[in-house]
Amino acid sequence: MSNRYLKEKGIESLLFASGAVAVIALFLLCIFLFRDGILLFSEYPINSFLTATKWYPTAEPAHFGILPLFLGSVIVTIGAVIFSVPLGIAVAIYISELASPKISNVLKPVTEILAGIPSVVYGFFGLVILVPIIQNTLELPTGQTALTGSIMLGIMALPTIISISEDAISSVPRTLKEGSLALGSTKWQTIYKVTVPASLSGISAAVMLGIGRAIGETMTVMMVTGNSAVIPGFPSGLFAPVRTMTATIALEMGEVPQGSDHFHALFAIGSVLFITTFIINIIANYVKKRYRFNL
Amino acid sequence: MFSNAKLNEKIAFTLLKIATGMVVAFVMVILYYIISNGYSVINLEFITSMPRNRMTEGGIFPAIMGTAYLIVGSMAVALPLGILSAIYLNEYAQSGRTTWAIEMAISNLAGTPSVVFGLFGLALFVKYLGFGPSLISASLTLALLILPVIIRASQEALLTVPKEYREASLALGVTKWETIRRVVLPAAIPGMITGAILSIGRVAGETAPILLTGAAYFLPRMPDSIYSQFMALPYHLYVLATSGTNIAQTRPLQYGTALVLLIIVLCVNIVAVSIRSHYRNKIKR
Amino acid sequence: MPENYDNGTEVEVRDLNLWYGENHALHDISIDIPKNSVTALIGPSGCGKSTFLRCLNRMNDLVKNCRIEGKVHIDKQNIYSKDVDVVDLRKRVGMVFQKPNPFPMSIHDNIAYGPRIHGTGKKNIRGVVEEALRSGALWDEVSERLDKSALDLSGGQQQRLCIARTLAVRPEVILFDEPCSALDPISTSKIEELILELKKKYTIVIVTHNMQQAARISDYTGFFLTGELVEFDKTEQIFESPREKATEDYITGRFG
Repeated sequence: MSNRYLKEKGIESLLFASGAVAVIALFLLCIFLFRDGILLFSEYPINSFLTATKWYPTAEPAHFGILPLFLGSVIVTIGAVIFSVPLGIAVAIYISELASPKISNVLKPVTEILAGIPSVVYGFFGLVILVPIIQNTLELPTGQTALTGSIMLGIMALPTIISISEDAISSVPRTLKEGSLALGSTKWQTIYKVTVPASLSGISAAVMLGIGRAIGETMTVMMVTGNSAVIPGFPSGLFAPVRTMTATIALEMGEVPQGSDHFHALFAIGSVLFITTFIINIIANYVKKRYRFNL
Repeated sequence: MFSNAKLNEKIAFTLLKIATGMVVAFVMVILYYIISNGYSVINLEFITSMPRNRMTEGGIFPAIMGTAYLIVGSMAVALPLGILSAIYLNEYAQSGRTTWAIEMAISNLAGTPSVVFGLFGLALFVKYLGFGPSLISASLTLALLILPVIIRASQEALLTVPKEYREASLALGVTKWETIRRVVLPAAIPGMITGAILSIGRVAGETAPILLTGAAYFLPRMPDSIYSQFMALPYHLYVLATSGTNIAQTRPLQYGTALVLLIIVLCVNIVAVSIRSHYRNKIKR
Repeated sequence: MPENYDNGTEVEVRDLNLWYGENHALHDISIDIPKNSVTALIGPSGCGKSTFLRCLNRMNDLVKNCRIEGKVHIDKQNIYSKDVDVVDLRKRVGMVFQKPNPFPMSIHDNIAYGPRIHGTGKKNIRGVVEEALRSGALWDEVSERLDKSALDLSGGQQQRLCIARTLAVRPEVILFDEPCSALDPISTSKIEELILELKKKYTIVIVTHNMQQAARISDYTGFFLTGELVEFDKTEQIFESPREKATEDYITGRFG
């Protein structure tokens, strides 16, 4: 008896230890990220880091202003949202409300392909196909612009937005829709007056997660946005090169001496990025929890 | 009035169809460009030979092997850990603060940008633990990156196992762990494998984390230990496309590399989806 | 309350109370269940009869926020005492569920599952499986296809398979939780015959919402209402001259 009991308890402890790895990993991630990030502020004032408008890491004296990079991430993400949210929601409505089961069974895997394509392939595609198109049609000096990044990120965020919105829309009880149809509303009136409002918090969660995905994306933006660290105007900045937080880390980490101010500055950017996505995730989870219909 | 509503509906539905058509078109256009341009480059030599002449000729063999090593290394760590975590969360954990903390950690890890994982891997594995830029640093970093994916997929697989199986086994005087091992796991394994395979695609395609933890710009040899640097397909594509010695001339090589990468990822997805649908049909029976 | 059973008492319950969180689901249940006989528990749905049944093999341990007070003795041993191993208890007290729940394995492996884990060697397993299937009145129907999936059997066969699977662990007591509610009349009568056969060797407690079934197969009947045991007596007594008004109302169908 006690032997078997010990074995069961031993196994449970092992399983618990595995479960704890996720917590430990997150904890260590915070520590190691913030530790190297904070070291910057012993040499460089945190105020300047947050508010200075220049990112000249190799100048003498160096300027580590995160603002242009942060705003670069923001403008690319906003562009991506404007592009992908309406499109994604439209597709989600089409799949869950209009398409026959046969068609939606084809459409779903097709959108899943978008989720599977590696970001570097998106970046490559954007670089060789979209960049020249943008440059020629808009007659810009370069096609590597925030807009290019936004379009590519928008495409990449589509599968997230589509699948979660589709879940939310499908989970609206049929009785609710039938109630509206029985009152003589058309199918479309039912969709936009009943179904979509009822699944709004699920759709918002989808949008939040799409934003999280876009703001954290690295390779694609690095390959198509031109990477010049200037504060973008809006909306004119969409048509000029920008540099995001993620691209800065990936571009510069290879060239900095470990332990230098510049090295720590990149960790400080990483910390800001992490905190930003952390907050977005918390909001997304919060709205997601509220949308399920309890039937 | 009535016909107005009808007209609106018609316009709206047309717009929805156009939107869906656009998204399908994106998929087709991206696949078309990569496949049609890469197709002629891929042959046995391209896949099995080393890059030559400063990467302007030759193949991508070391990059393929590097990616294969990364897949094996990260799965060896993340798969057992992820499955065991999922078993703990679904079968043992009581709702409480600890479980809340684990769930919260998983969903936040899942939402953390991959470049941040790269920084973490650089600080912990490369620097602090002294592994240097190496296969092991990159594999461990990728393992943490896909851990949430594997846990979530395994949890879903466990949820599909009917409660009745567990009750029946427990009522026969079988312990909880034996019940899980002999009844619950066999029923959940196909779903878990699907999740695992999907995360292989993720490992194969991730660039930013390995860029910071050990991927090499160019290596004229294969990695000889887990502490060596390595080449990998996605980083190789990035290098060729943005900072190679002759970007325009190596365009075909870039398409070829992109296509190989795409084939790996798509095959992995197809395998995973077919396992899933095969298994679903079996359940329905 | 009947006492001095011919075969002695198997299960002795005193002042059993059960809560699901704040919900007081069972009130002061006291009952003596006789050995080698069939005891039926009847009552409207939600009356607590299944909850009570699940106290006897501690399946309620699996339910969150479930709290139990009182004594349950099986074969003179308090099953809620600290030194009792739940796993051993469930070997002694088997259970057959409302919906047939065979494992997704072959017929043979379903039966062999329990004995294998409890240490029956390879050599003996075939004999154990055959014996259990014979006792479960299923052998003649499946002996030719033991390696086929149990999920391909009919509902009634599946339920007899589940009974045989329980028998293979050699319990003393078998709990049936509405075993026929998902079955057709012919399968039901097969199960009822089987239960009458099994009582020679086992103590049987069966929860049923079917009064005719209780009348047909049980020796003793308990009537539950809103978490209380209203009346417990010989089955003839309950059905012919119940002492309580509530019992009579329920049996004559004048109830809700």
